[in-house]
Amino acid sequence: MVIDQYRFRRLLFDSLNFAFVVMVALILFQAPEEEQILRDMKFYALLWGGLMVIGALISELFLKFRIVTLGELTFSPPSRKHLRSQHNLFYTFWGWQFIISLILTLWIGCLITKADLWELLDERGIRGAIHLFYALFDPNWQILPQAIVNVIVTIFMAFIATAFAIPVAFILSFFCAKNIMKHPVAFVIYLTLRTLFNFIRSIEALIWAIIFSVWVGIGPFAGMMALMIHSIASLAKQYSEMVESVGEGPIEGVQSTGASFLQTIWFAIVPQVILPYISFTVYRWDTNVRMATIIGFVGGGGIGTMLIKYQGQAMWNEVGTIVIVIAVVVWAMDQASALIRDALK
Amino acid sequence: MGESGVTVDSSKVILSIKNLVKTYPNGVQALKGVSFDVREGEFLVIIGLSGSGKSTLLRCLNRLHDPTSGSILFDHGKEDIAQVKGAGVRRIRQQIGMIFQHFNLVPRFSVLKNVLLGRLAYTPIWKSLLGWFSEADRKKAIEHLSLVGIAEKAHLRADNLSGGQQQRVAIARVLSQNPKIILADEPVASLDPATCHTVMEYLKKVNEELKITIVCNLHFLSLVRQYATRVIALKEGEIIYEGSPQDIDEQWFARIYGEGAKEVHVN
Ligand SMILES: Nc1ncnc2c1ncn2[C@@H]1O[C@H](COP(=O)(O)OP(=O)(O)O)[C@@H](O)[C@H]1O
Ligand SMILES: [Mg+2]
Repeated sequence: MVIDQYRFRRLLFDSLNFAFVVMVALILFQAPEEEQILRDMKFYALLWGGLMVIGALISELFLKFRIVTLGELTFSPPSRKHLRSQHNLFYTFWGWQFIISLILTLWIGCLITKADLWELLDERGIRGAIHLFYALFDPNWQILPQAIVNVIVTIFMAFIATAFAIPVAFILSFFCAKNIMKHPVAFVIYLTLRTLFNFIRSIEALIWAIIFSVWVGIGPFAGMMALMIHSIASLAKQYSEMVESVGEGPIEGVQSTGASFLQTIWFAIVPQVILPYISFTVYRWDTNVRMATIIGFVGGGGIGTMLIKYQGQAMWNEVGTIVIVIAVVVWAMDQASALIRDALK
Repeated sequence: MGESGVTVDSSKVILSIKNLVKTYPNGVQALKGVSFDVREGEFLVIIGLSGSGKSTLLRCLNRLHDPTSGSILFDHGKEDIAQVKGAGVRRIRQQIGMIFQHFNLVPRFSVLKNVLLGRLAYTPIWKSLLGWFSEADRKKAIEHLSLVGIAEKAHLRADNLSGGQQQRVAIARVLSQNPKIILADEPVASLDPATCHTVMEYLKKVNEELKITIVCNLHFLSLVRQYATRVIALKEGEIIYEGSPQDIDEQWFARIYGEGAKEVHVN
């Protein structure tokens, strides 16, 4: 029995789906307390594993009888596409598998998130919210100068983070491009950098801000560092994807003149990627301004820190002012960045 | 193999290829021990079905590909191209220029800048990165553009030119390298028949007036008869014919291109 890529994906999908459906049904039926689940975690884990095995067996069995499961539908190899019939959703097995999974997921999802219509319609709650909205729309303009100063800090935080990230990401992007790093030693560098950048990007800028606010102290510098680290990783990835997609022709053409490695990159690759680079970079700055606001919440300085301060004291009129300032700046940045990127096309 | 009608002095060998083998990493043996000489000043044309190894052969000669084994003696045997490394490879490429089927210009650069790229090997890296090419280089570049008849397009972007014009820019670029040999990999294969002759005429001019040796892959036998001073035919990575273009009769044609193939004329 060969486990090829198709079979593996189908089995994984179907067994996860089966284990999930049975488990959810069980929990909905039994309605165990949270403590009970925590205590019996081991039992549930074992049960999950067992159910996955059964699910995989069922998937194999169904395939033998040419019954198309959802996993088969999604991951079947091209050679078996003909098995997918043109039947109506309700006449297929995978259709029902899908419907049942969806209903169970929505049901348990509502239970878990404690979604409660009555809570939303609670009179006192609504009155509180209305009060807050009134306050938000009745901003306290006294703090406007302060808010403007802080939003400028935030914009510059994003700007400096982007500006410092550009040259670093630019240079590193060539080391992250498969088509340049062909040599065995180069390939190791390529893999190392790729892994490192994937790791950095998988940690949210917000988390980086927390790390740096411990490292260099609360304030704009921590926020800037967090954004910069994140921007380097993101830009290097986007840049290197551009480098990987350039045409081989100009590279060969420039190489054939006897150009050196650096000259080849500069004259054959850079001209092909420079416009998308600028486009990505502008977009990154735009994103960074938005992120810089959020990062302020955890001590990254700027308008975010100011907002969280007033929010903590339930001073909604002041919060209203700040929200308006943020909205205007984000909107303006968004427009500017869209216009610039459009002009670069 | 017949060798009549060759007018070039056979004592002056500029490249001597011996037992050249190229096996790609995927196991395809594109050249299976090819040996021949390139003579100074000749217009050598390589023909063969597609997949016979013509491009591979040219790319080994200027080390865009690394040969697996064999030798390529250059400069009266002073240097073995198959063995050079690093800066040596770049020096070889500077002396053995290349033009390509798809021109391989840098599309966003002006025509003039593309021609100046031919000077990269002569320009210190820091100067070239700043785009500082010497005044003499610029003057020469314009001269070479005039030679191929498109000096007036010097400041247009390369991708605004037609295929034939782009190939002429590529010829001007290769001339800026001041090469001893020009390799041309199917230089007219993506051009229409009329333009095709213009480009071939310029190559002929370069060969005859500037005395630059040319090794050219071609598809159409009619072009071969018109421009080649000597012909080599490749089949499945081996040389099956070497001699004058006039001696390729119907029998040879059938052997090179396979039974049942029909000659197509470009006029
Ligand atoms: N980069 C490569 N990797 C693997 N095989 C290649 C590569 N380039 C060419 N080949 C193979 O080598 C053989 C010769 O190709 P090529 O030199 O391009 O022939 P031609 O130029 O005469 O059409 C073909 O079988 C082709 O598939
Ligand atoms: Mg070819």
